[in-house]
Amino acid sequence: MIETQGLYLGDVERDAPKELVLLSIIAQSYFQPFSLQDNLLVILTALTSGSGVGFNRAMLFLAEGGRLKGEMWLGPATQEEARSIWEILSTPGIGYVEIVEHNRALLSRAGGTLSERIKGLSYPLGEKSLSIPSRAVERREIVHVRDARSEPAVESRFLEVIDVEAFLCIPLVVHDEPLGEIIVDNAFTRAPITEKDIKLASMCGLIAGNYIYTGAIHKKMLEMEKFAAMGEMASYITHQLRNPLVTIGGFADQLLRYEGGEDRRKSRRNLEIIRAETRRLEDIVYKLGHLLKLEQKPPAAFDPGPVLKDALADPAFRAKSKGRRIKIRLTEPMPRVMGYPSQVGEAVRNLLDNALDATPEGATIYVQATNADPRWFIVKIKDTGRGIADKDRERLFLPFFTTKENGVGLGLHFVKRIMESCGGGIEVRSRPGKGTEFRLSFIKEERGTDQ
Amino acid sequence: MTQPKKKRILLVEDEENLRLLYQEELDKDGYDVTAAGDADEALAALRGGGFDLIITDIRMPGKDGIELITQIMGQRRDIPIIINSAYQSYKDDFMTWAADAYVVKSSSLDELKSRVKELLGS
Repeated sequence: MIETQGLYLGDVERDAPKELVLLSIIAQSYFQPFSLQDNLLVILTALTSGSGVGFNRAMLFLAEGGRLKGEMWLGPATQEEARSIWEILSTPGIGYVEIVEHNRALLSRAGGTLSERIKGLSYPLGEKSLSIPSRAVERREIVHVRDARSEPAVESRFLEVIDVEAFLCIPLVVHDEPLGEIIVDNAFTRAPITEKDIKLASMCGLIAGNYIYTGAIHKKMLEMEKFAAMGEMASYITHQLRNPLVTIGGFADQLLRYEGGEDRRKSRRNLEIIRAETRRLEDIVYKLGHLLKLEQKPPAAFDPGPVLKDALADPAFRAKSKGRRIKIRLTEPMPRVMGYPSQVGEAVRNLLDNALDATPEGATIYVQATNADPRWFIVKIKDTGRGIADKDRERLFLPFFTTKENGVGLGLHFVKRIMESCGGGIEVRSRPGKGTEFRLSFIKEERGTDQ
Repeated sequence: MTQPKKKRILLVEDEENLRLLYQEELDKDGYDVTAAGDADEALAALRGGGFDLIITDIRMPGKDGIELITQIMGQRRDIPIIINSAYQSYKDDFMTWAADAYVVKSSSLDELKSRVKELLGS
């Protein structure tokens, strides 16, 4: 027999030691999809909640661009607010999540919140200043101020804002890197700050530092991933450009060597290859240029008939389809649909081209338009080629994904974006070895507009 | 006087125009070139035997050049192999180290040709 339990076992008993309560509060944050801001709020909550350390107020400064800047301040703004908050929080059954929710509301309430009062506070770092509050993080030490009003080290504007005699500054430092500072006080109860309070607060400081540190690392990692993706893209594009260039250069070299003495047919063939490869380069450059540039205007109603027929009559398609059977069934009359005719034409040409690439000579491609659905007009392009492997199907529409040696990997990505910008969509069904069917769905005009 | 027997090269390149270019150029240099459009065609040709050198691309639909090399290594380690790829980065893949030369595709075929000459000793 086995017994299983969730990873987190819930709140510890109310009479458990404070350290354990604190640990339990913080542990919960790891099981919530909280942002860095939320996690820091959790720390401030732990510092101020009665079941945690129980300070009246907690203030957070973050190191940013060489300065220590006021970020958030948690706690009641006045004695009355303090009383009502404690009433709420001492209600039996109020747990950690409720406290965080409450605090979040407190922070986001417009006007007069504590956080706004410290937003303008900012102190330079790295000057080994002994003034408070920056001293704690500059010197990596916890500073307990007992008589702020008569202590010259306390910076005057800070004193004006905090307006309390006794407070505690906890530096947030990871690997000797100053990350911020937390300042706590008991402005309303005026309870003295004990040795135990300081120990618990320093523990919170360590964890807050860790949150900030891992948050920064995570951000850096995402950036690096982005760079890596860009690098991969650049390497891919380089390769795509290299093959046609090699072909052009190689055949041009041959032409130069012929010097008129050689077979004219061969010269002509070389020129044709060079021209075709140049077109391919143009196509790649064109597609790259359009990667992020799609129509901004709202889609308009158009007749899909001519667009489909044009694509099927395209000389490039006709030439390439030699040796394959193309079976076309377009239901007439076709309804008007929403979209951008020129881009839809491009999308259809793209799918036809793919279908030809996948279809061996002698095999068949089906193009079918159906008007059976009241809302959608469907165009299907089906080949009887090699099909798409399961592992590739998920990545099919991603930019720069291709299974063709000379593919740029932008075609299907475009088609999808074009269809989505028209308010429609694209679906794919494929069986390896049997063929692939792409289904384009267009919104019909009568349903697409609010008439 | 009998002509010396031409050295036989198996060329694996999926791109038609490039295949034609390499085939013509190597042919002009006096080699007997058999061209294959993918790895499976290449393996089929190899079963016939008699090749002195293999030139292969890496990125190809179906089996790629690295898979092809791996399979060849399992059967015939005596035929020298030249990798001819548009990518520099496959040099990091240790399977490509099994090849005797790695040429990055260029519009000048000089490097490819001189590697061929080196490996075939002619």
